[in-house]
Amino acid sequence: MKAIDFPALLRMLTEGNVEFIVVGGVAAIMHGSARGTFDLDVVHRRTPENIQRLVNCLAPHSPYLRGAPPGLPFRFDADTIRRGLNFTLSTTLGPLDLLGEITGGGRYEDLLADTMTAELFGFTCRCLGLRKLIETKRAAGRPRDLDAVAELEALLEKTKTS
Amino acid sequence: MSHKVTNRPETKAQVVEPLPLDPVIETYKKDIDVTLLDENLKLTVEQRILNLQSFVEFALELRKAAKTACS
Repeated sequence: MKAIDFPALLRMLTEGNVEFIVVGGVAAIMHGSARGTFDLDVVHRRTPENIQRLVNCLAPHSPYLRGAPPGLPFRFDADTIRRGLNFTLSTTLGPLDLLGEITGGGRYEDLLADTMTAELFGFTCRCLGLRKLIETKRAAGRPRDLDAVAELEALLEKTKTS
Repeated sequence: MSHKVTNRPETKAQVVEPLPLDPVIETYKKDIDVTLLDENLKLTVEQRILNLQSFVEFALELRKAAKTACS
């Protein structure tokens, strides 16, 4: 397994003018979490134009369904992305979860008002706000997220008092 | 170059209700190492991502080493 290159993935999406929001573990890290993660989760805007931009910038990085047996027919194109919603992909830059919507948060347009932007590596990146991140993780209700939610809530309390 | 996570003007103005208390999460909260959070909050967002990058690379090296040791 090749290590994920977080800066390269974020740069690739940004320079490809893809409208996306960083969610999940990397968003938590951006807010100060001390927990590790091995993939990048992004919610993308589901317009035909944005899907095409996403395909254009990601296609050179050999996206394939993560965990699928080798040789399974998978064509990464706009039509495939339009027909599906959430994709867990492996790429040459590392694992990328391409999400059309998330539990407790909805789609790109639903999340946009609850996002923040950060300048990093010379570009601007949009990530889910801390409170909304907590709400989505709570809504997902996964036992493995309990510890992560507790940490995010501790961060929220810290940022409120600082 | 600023590295701060910043609210943009489009962030909707709203009365923020406190999150409902969840007794399970409150229990987990007692074991959170807040000193790590304090240290992270001193870093820029870019530095936090770079730390994550180092962590992932280190973890994969450990996995490789463990595999070699077991084979």
